[in-house]
Amino acid sequence: MRMNGSDILVECLLEQGTDTVFGYPGGAVLNIYDALYKYSDRIQHVLTAHEQGASHAADGYARATGRVGVCIATSGPGATNLVTGIATAYMDSIPMVAITGNVSVPLLGRDSFQEVDITGITMPVTKHNFIVKDVRELADTVRQAFVIARSGRPGPVLIDIPKDVTAAECEYEPLAAEGPRPVAPPKEERLLMALDKLAFCKKPLIYFGGGVISSGGEQELLRLAEKQDIPVCASMMGLGGFPPEHRLWLGMVGMHGTLAANRAAKDCDLLLVCGARFSDRVACSRTGFAPNAQVIHIDIDHAEFDKNVPAAVRLAGDLKEVLGLLADRAPQVQRTAWAEETAARRREKAPLPREDDTPPDPLAILQALHRLVPEDTVVATDVGQHQMWVAQHFPFRQPRTLLTSGGLGTMGYGLGAAVGAQFGCPGRRVVLVTGDGSFHMNLNELTTLVSYNLPIVVLVMNNRVLGMVRQWQKVFYGRRFSATDPHRKTDLVRLAEAFGCTGMRIRGAGEIDMVLEAALQADGPVVVDCRISPDVNVLPMIPPGGTVEDLMEEMD
Amino acid sequence: MNKENTMVLSVLAVNHPGVLLRVAGLFSRRGFNIDSIVACRTENPAFSRLTLVVEGDEATFTQLIRQLLKLEDIVKVRAMETDNCSNSELLLVKVEAAGPSRGGVLKAAQTYGARVLDIGDATVTIEMTGQTDEMDHFIEHMEQFGVREMARTGITALERGDEAILDEE
Repeated sequence: MRMNGSDILVECLLEQGTDTVFGYPGGAVLNIYDALYKYSDRIQHVLTAHEQGASHAADGYARATGRVGVCIATSGPGATNLVTGIATAYMDSIPMVAITGNVSVPLLGRDSFQEVDITGITMPVTKHNFIVKDVRELADTVRQAFVIARSGRPGPVLIDIPKDVTAAECEYEPLAAEGPRPVAPPKEERLLMALDKLAFCKKPLIYFGGGVISSGGEQELLRLAEKQDIPVCASMMGLGGFPPEHRLWLGMVGMHGTLAANRAAKDCDLLLVCGARFSDRVACSRTGFAPNAQVIHIDIDHAEFDKNVPAAVRLAGDLKEVLGLLADRAPQVQRTAWAEETAARRREKAPLPREDDTPPDPLAILQALHRLVPEDTVVATDVGQHQMWVAQHFPFRQPRTLLTSGGLGTMGYGLGAAVGAQFGCPGRRVVLVTGDGSFHMNLNELTTLVSYNLPIVVLVMNNRVLGMVRQWQKVFYGRRFSATDPHRKTDLVRLAEAFGCTGMRIRGAGEIDMVLEAALQADGPVVVDCRISPDVNVLPMIPPGGTVEDLMEEMD
Repeated sequence: MNKENTMVLSVLAVNHPGVLLRVAGLFSRRGFNIDSIVACRTENPAFSRLTLVVEGDEATFTQLIRQLLKLEDIVKVRAMETDNCSNSELLLVKVEAAGPSRGGVLKAAQTYGARVLDIGDATVTIEMTGQTDEMDHFIEHMEQFGVREMARTGITALERGDEAILDEE
């Protein structure tokens, strides 16, 4: 069938099972948008307020559903506006395909209007990228992009398409979507080595990350932990991958992790690392983190082995498969003393909200939220103190329910991500917990919530300061609060109303339940201004480069 | 050249525009040091071959190879020691050779098995291929006459024996 490049592009998206794309039109993508108009009964285009929002929406869609997220932007500024979202997805290994328009092939390289070398710009933040200069290569390039995005360690792929290629015609033959490339099973001798280490250790600890979520290996992880009686901690990216009320659960590990998890890391003699990468926010000191442990590292990405912390056993493969093999073959053992010792520390340290507080305690707000929403609720966050409070205090019981920028730490990520999640999971509750700093970065995306009447509840932990940076200034910079007290006078309730959302406010502890209930019952998008104190800190905290010995439980 | 902390990498890549940029970008952002990099076409037009000389320790090399293999366009990476591969580079050097020194320059070129490409009024341009340390000696020798300018390629290398990079290990 003879078709133009734009129709071929949309046909190829449909081949891949794409039902939703997030984007923003412009000159170089006019032909593509004409095709989207034509195909609007088969593929939904979601218009965002800004291309960055579209990239975060594609990311949020992918995180919440496990499918590849797709975003589209025009050339030049449209393309550069995607970059933060692409880099966010890259750091957290989120499968995404970003499509950008470019100026026509004869205009390339001439500093034409809205021309930018987006493949050059995104080279360090994509798994791979393409510029398609011949329409005959378009279909296979799109197919290949999806294969790359899904295969191995997932990640974003960008396809840059000059405008004349979107208009040029060629033959198109439909093709069924290819699955991800097969992953080789781990080598038998490595498995035996790992089982051997497990058999001879006394104090093992499991530290898992986003790889478990990405591979869907939660059940296998649970089975292995229970069979071998191994305490479990996770990086933020792993939250939702292990039941938070389980006797073996120690909580999040790292800079703002629990004392129990960090102490266990210090004390353990074997660390079983599953789809995690010893980021500096987990292993604040690469040598001081788990200093007495031999490391068994399981990852789909060979380059993670020995990158930050050397491993004694490297098990390359799909997490679900490797964990399943280990769980099948490891014997049932009991390590009662060790498991009890570590878990007891977690119970002792369980924090309680301050009661009858004015201003309200963020912990109390999050606990109330947790009480009021169903278990499959998707919680998106931005970046900062509120993000850590969510990670610490909101018990995630299902994978893919926490959407947060772990690696890149992108303030302004959350609202777009929540939009993407709501389109990916139309029947489910989506909540964004943000801070006033992050919210101010991309609050223009409220327009999207209104345009599509998305019932998203936005909780703004509004402390009127840039709290996380301010906290660092408090501890490490002698309370010199440089540029963290912006003296903004934004009235978030009226702002929400101006956009066409419902605005609500929580001023004190007594109002929390009432306001949250009303917000959750409202029709359409709601912004809740939670007037928290600027002096609440994220605790505990291990300073950068430190270990559990340096853990701060108090501040001020 | 047989320094402990250098390694020769032979990299087979899909012959796409930008492959060199992808490899160079990877090295720069991960903080790996490249001594030299040579890119060329191969017997198969679908592939190009990059020969890199890199500095570092064992752990750096391992990490670097794993990172290279993650690039979509990289087909195969082979790490080689300089003493078990055939390796060679090309040097062009323009040496001061006015008056009486000209005889000395030409003689030295002959001794080293180099080829004279051009004779100017005051200089002689010499081409030499060989291993890096021979090249270094030759340049050192020429410096007594005065080196006006020079260009050298960095090494290209192939493994010794019958094996080729795409053969199964």
